Amino acid sequence: MSAPGAPAVAAAGARQAPGATAPGARPGRRRGRGNWTAIGFLSPAALVVALLLYLPFLYTVVLSFTKYDGLSSPQWVALDNFRKFFSDPALGSSVRNTLMWVVGTTVLPVGLGLLIALLSFGIRGGSGFRLPFMLPYALSGAGLGVIWGFILQDGGAANDVLGALHLPGAHTDFLQHWPYNTISMIVAWTWQQTGVNALLFMVGLQSIPKEPLEAARLDGAGGFRLFRSITWPLLAPLTTVVVGLALVASLKTFDIVWVTTQGGPGRSSETLAVTMYRDAFVSGDYGYGSAVALVLTLTTAAVTLAYLRRQVKTREGLG
Amino acid sequence: MRERNAAWFVRRAVLLVLGLVWLIPVYLLLVNAARPSTSYDQSKIWTPDTHLGLFDNIRQGWDSAGLGSSLASTFLYSIASPGLAVVLGAMAGFAIAVLRVRAGFWWFMLLFGGTVVPTQMLLIPLFLGYSSTDLYDRRGGLVLIYLAVSIPLAAFVMRNFFTGVAYTIFEAARMDGASIWRVFWRVYLPLALSALWAVFILEFAFIWNDLLFGLTLSQTDTVRPVMTALSSLSSAYGGSTIPVVLASGLVMSLPTVLLFLGTQRLFARGLALGQF
Repeated sequence: MSAPGAPAVAAAGARQAPGATAPGARPGRRRGRGNWTAIGFLSPAALVVALLLYLPFLYTVVLSFTKYDGLSSPQWVALDNFRKFFSDPALGSSVRNTLMWVVGTTVLPVGLGLLIALLSFGIRGGSGFRLPFMLPYALSGAGLGVIWGFILQDGGAANDVLGALHLPGAHTDFLQHWPYNTISMIVAWTWQQTGVNALLFMVGLQSIPKEPLEAARLDGAGGFRLFRSITWPLLAPLTTVVVGLALVASLKTFDIVWVTTQGGPGRSSETLAVTMYRDAFVSGDYGYGSAVALVLTLTTAAVTLAYLRRQVKTREGLG
Repeated sequence: MRERNAAWFVRRAVLLVLGLVWLIPVYLLLVNAARPSTSYDQSKIWTPDTHLGLFDNIRQGWDSAGLGSSLASTFLYSIASPGLAVVLGAMAGFAIAVLRVRAGFWWFMLLFGGTVVPTQMLLIPLFLGYSSTDLYDRRGGLVLIYLAVSIPLAAFVMRNFFTGVAYTIFEAARMDGASIWRVFWRVYLPLALSALWAVFILEFAFIWNDLLFGLTLSQTDTVRPVMTALSSLSSAYGGSTIPVVLASGLVMSLPTVLLFLGTQRLFARGLALGQF
């Protein structure tokens, strides 16, 4: 769900923390009746969020320690679900695919987005050059699955292109064989996400002060050196956020896999999010599904925190 | 005017070639969605057909998957939920930034923390809860969950926006005898209009493109959102031809594509809103 929330966080992270001082002195905190008015303004939003986001979240945590089929009442089984999860043979492929998604989507769309932002920054008609990359961003994960399912089908457009270029893969049935199914879906995802990353990097490039760039140019730096020693370090805060967002999204990959392969053939292209959905809603094993959701959430939280801490440390080291 | 050296050409050439590669899937989508369903042949996907079958294909998708009612429901979800969310979020932001509620930081964290709750942690309890309270497979149920996931961003942005508004405006309006609600509704909300729009558009697109909540919380054609309908249309058991599936996908993607292209500037502003 972080989709709509994430970009705002991105920009906030790129700049200073929000909520700095505003003009006009404020009185101290309101007391008595004034505070109840404020709570009145807050409570509708707080109530909806508490009831529909926090309460279900906590209930999933509880359910993950139970066996529950939705009919008879949940039975406490302590850590059985987690034990079962870590000894499940399908887990190996699910974790392996999720890792491929994490690596693939933090490298490809971010790298290409940066490349396109750099190439099109400051040239006339830059937004026109960027348009082809922006178009796919408006598509949904399901729309993406439909288009790329068609392109990647056996004997489809992907095979045609590779054959015409005399590259290997002209006769590969991409969606039916691991690891080609996961890899080709990562390519589809890259096709969709590159544009928005380019847009975010453009925002970053525009906010870089002109002076250091000019000074470096006067000193004779240009091209790659200019990028490496000036632009890249100044973009670092934004890069951290863009990669962080890609990281979080990649761990929760669901839509495109569900629409393109439904996790198959067999369970070979399942990600953790698909495994969770299948165990809960196809097999009706809600306790186990909750346990998978919890593992997925804890992994996401741990990876994100580790990544952010590392980034902050690196930057402090530089400063 | 800068001179046109090698770098000048290389930059444009790389962008142009990559851009063309990026357009290939779009070309394939358009050509094959427009092809008559009966003349689809896998060896001829690259050449446009001389007959236009687009509208027949759309009609077939319309009939077999109930796209019409799905579209209507999805418009309801993606307008009503973010519309309500920006107002509730603005009220919360107003209470924190202007009315200075006690423990404002914790209220803010409570609301903003909602953005980091992963969807996967919600699905099972929502499904079970909705089933037992008759919200399952109801439009109201979907409006409610989309509202809930839209509020945190709205509250975050509006709180930051109102923090930047001079407090003297509030004092002056109060001095003139306006009630707090009136100050909010007549003074602060209009001030924030462009920020509200940016949040609304971002959330409209997010809800329009949602698959997972629709998949979990609805089943009938009239209630389920478009992406869920598209997903079942395209599955192996959907029984539709490729041109029909592609044409349906095209129609369902049109609202967000048009919205996005029409409001790119505002959209980019939405992405950058955290800067307030």
